[in-house]
Amino acid sequence: MTKYEKGALAAVAAMVVAAGFIFLYAPTDALQGPVQRIFYLHVSSAIAAYGCFAVVLIGGIAYLWKENVVADRLARAGALVGVVFTTVTLVMGMIWAKPIWGTYWTWDARLTSTLVLWIIYAGYLMIRRLADPGRQAARFAAVVGIFGFTDVLVVHFSVTWWRTQHPGPVVINDALPPQMLVAFFVTLACTLFLAAVMVAIRYRIEVLMDQAVEKSVPAPVVTPTEAGRVR
Amino acid sequence: MRSLAVALAVARKDLTSEWRTRELVPALAQFVVLALVIANFGFQIDSRNAPAIAPGVLWMALVFAGLVAFGRAFAAEREQSSLEAMLMTPASPAAIFAGKALAAALLLVLCEAVLLPALALFFSVPLSFEVVSAVLLATVGMAVLGCLFAAMVARVRARELLLPLLTLPLWIPFIVFGGQAVQVAMGGGGSTGNASGLLIDLDILFVVLTSLVARFVLDD
Amino acid sequence: MSAIVAASLTQRFGSEVGLDGVDLDVDAGEHLAVLGDNGAGKTTLLRILATAARPTSGRIEIFGLNATIERRRLRAVIGFVAHAPGLYPALSAAENLAFYCTLQGVDRGRVAEVLELVGLAEVAGRPADKLSRGAQQRLAIGRAVLHDPKLLVLDEPDASLDSGGADLLARVMRGRTAVIATHDHALANRLCQRTLMLRRGRVVGVPTRLRVVH
Repeated sequence: MTKYEKGALAAVAAMVVAAGFIFLYAPTDALQGPVQRIFYLHVSSAIAAYGCFAVVLIGGIAYLWKENVVADRLARAGALVGVVFTTVTLVMGMIWAKPIWGTYWTWDARLTSTLVLWIIYAGYLMIRRLADPGRQAARFAAVVGIFGFTDVLVVHFSVTWWRTQHPGPVVINDALPPQMLVAFFVTLACTLFLAAVMVAIRYRIEVLMDQAVEKSVPAPVVTPTEAGRVR
Repeated sequence: MRSLAVALAVARKDLTSEWRTRELVPALAQFVVLALVIANFGFQIDSRNAPAIAPGVLWMALVFAGLVAFGRAFAAEREQSSLEAMLMTPASPAAIFAGKALAAALLLVLCEAVLLPALALFFSVPLSFEVVSAVLLATVGMAVLGCLFAAMVARVRARELLLPLLTLPLWIPFIVFGGQAVQVAMGGGGSTGNASGLLIDLDILFVVLTSLVARFVLDD
Repeated sequence: MSAIVAASLTQRFGSEVGLDGVDLDVDAGEHLAVLGDNGAGKTTLLRILATAARPTSGRIEIFGLNATIERRRLRAVIGFVAHAPGLYPALSAAENLAFYCTLQGVDRGRVAEVLELVGLAEVAGRPADKLSRGAQQRLAIGRAVLHDPKLLVLDEPDASLDSGGADLLARVMRGRTAVIATHDHALANRLCQRTLMLRRGRVVGVPTRLRVVH
C-alpha cells in the first residue's frame, strides 16, 4: 500500500472516531436538540477551509517571490480542498440554520464571509483553468489568492460593522460543557488531519499532472544534428 | 519623479483618446439613466420608500457601470499589443497601471456626475457633500481593484464572466460602507459610524496592494 | 563580442511546443534574418529575444545580462517592432511618439528627428488610424528607435511596408545589432549577414552566411 493509501485510510478511520465522539460521547444539547451535533463538523470544516486558504495565500506569495513550482502546486491543492470544505461548511450551516433560526439563510457576518470565501475561491479555480497554463495561470491565481484572503477578512469586518447598524439574529453561544468541548477538539483534530491528507494527495496529483504535460512534447520533426545548430 | 510622470502621461493618453472618440462616457451615462428608470418600475418607487431604496439603486448602477468602465481599460485587442509596447520601456508597470486606473476612475466620475443628479431628481432624495464624498472615495478603491482584475482577464477566455466574479467580492466592503454613508445622508436614519474613515482605510490598503502586484499581472 | 547568446531555448504553450531547443549566437553589430513559414516559431523566438516573453527553459544572455532576469534593464536598450503595431488610433503620429518619449525617458526633441527618419514628418499631426498601413508600420518602426537602442528586433516589418521600406529598414538597422523575421529572402539578403531557418520550432540546416549584394 502506498503512503497515500495509508494516509487516506488513517484519515477515514479518524473521521469514524470523530463520529463516535459526536454521536456517542457528546451529550444532546438542551436548547437546540440533536441538530446541534452538526456544529462540531460545521465549525471544524470552516477552520479546515481557512487553513487551506492560508496555504493558498502563502503558496501564492512564495510563488510570486521565487517562482517556486512547489509553492504553486501546494496552492492549487489547498484551493481545491478548501473549496470542498467551504461547501461542506455552507451546507451544514444551512441545515443547522433552518431548525434553529427558522430560515436557511441569514446575512450575518460569518455566513456572508463564508459565502464570499466560496465565491472567491471558485474564481481562483476558474482563473487557473482559463489562463495560459503554466506561469500565467500560476501568477494570476497567486494574485487572486492574496486578494481573496485579504478580502475575506475585510468582508467579515465590514459585515460585522454593518450588523451593528442593522442588528440581526443572534447565534446562541452558550459556553460549551466539558464533554462537548472534548468532542469538538477531537473532531477538529480529525478534520484537520483529513484536510492535510487530502491536500497531500491532491499535491501528488498535481505533480503527476505537471509531469504528464511535460512528457507530451511531440516527437521531433527534424532530427537534431550538430549541423542544426547555429555556429 | 519619473513614475509620476509616466502615470500622468498614461492617464492623459487614455483620457485624450476617450475625449476624441467619445465612446465610453455617453454610453455609460445613458446606461445609468436607464437603470434608474427601470429601478423606478422594478421597485415601484414612491415618495415614502424612495430614501430607503435610492442608495441601493445608486450602488447597483455604480457597480454595473464600473464593471464596464474598468473592463474597458484593458479590454480591446489592440489595447493588448499597445500594453506590451508600454512594458517594453523602462517605465515601471506599477506606474502604467496607476495611470490606467486613474483614467478609468475619472471616466467613472464623469458618469457619476450624471448619475447622482439624475438620482436626486428622479427619486427626490437630497444630494449632499456626504453622498458625493462617499461615492468618490469608493470609486478610488473600486477603480484599482476593477482595473487590476480587468488587466488579468483581458488575456483570458470568458472574461465577461470572470471579471464580475473576481471583482465583486472585493467591492462588497466598499458598498457596505459607502451604502451606509449614503443611506444616512439621504435621510434613511441611523449613523454613518465613521464610514468615510473606513473607506479611506480600504482605499489605502488596496492602492498599496494593487501597486505591489501590478507587475505580476501586466507582465510575464 | 557577442550581443546575443542563447542555448536550448524552448517555449511551450500548455502541451504545444513553439520552440524546441534553439541555439543562437549573434555578434554585436550583426544583422540576422530569421526565416521560416508561418507557425515555424519566428514570432515566438523574436519575442524572447526582445524580452517580451520568457522561455519555458533554456538560457539567453543579451549584452552579457541574463535576459530572463534583467528584463527592465535590457528593455532600455532594445527596440521591438512587434507583429501588431499597438499604436493609439485617436492620437496623432507625433502624439504617439511623444507619449513614448515620456515612457522611455528621452527628450521630446526626438519626436521630430524620428518622424524625419521614417519619412512621416508631413503627416505628424494626422491621427494614427487615418494613416495608411505602410505609414503605421513606419511609425511603429520609428517608435522602436526613439531611445536609440543597441538591439533592434523586428517581426515581419516588411509585411505592410510601402515602397522605400527596404531603404528605411536599412537605415534604422545601421549601426545596431538587429534580428529581423521575414518571408522575403531577397530582403534578407540585402539587409543581413546571416540567416537562420526555423521549421516547427527547430533550427533547420546550417546557418547561411550571405553574400551581401549591394
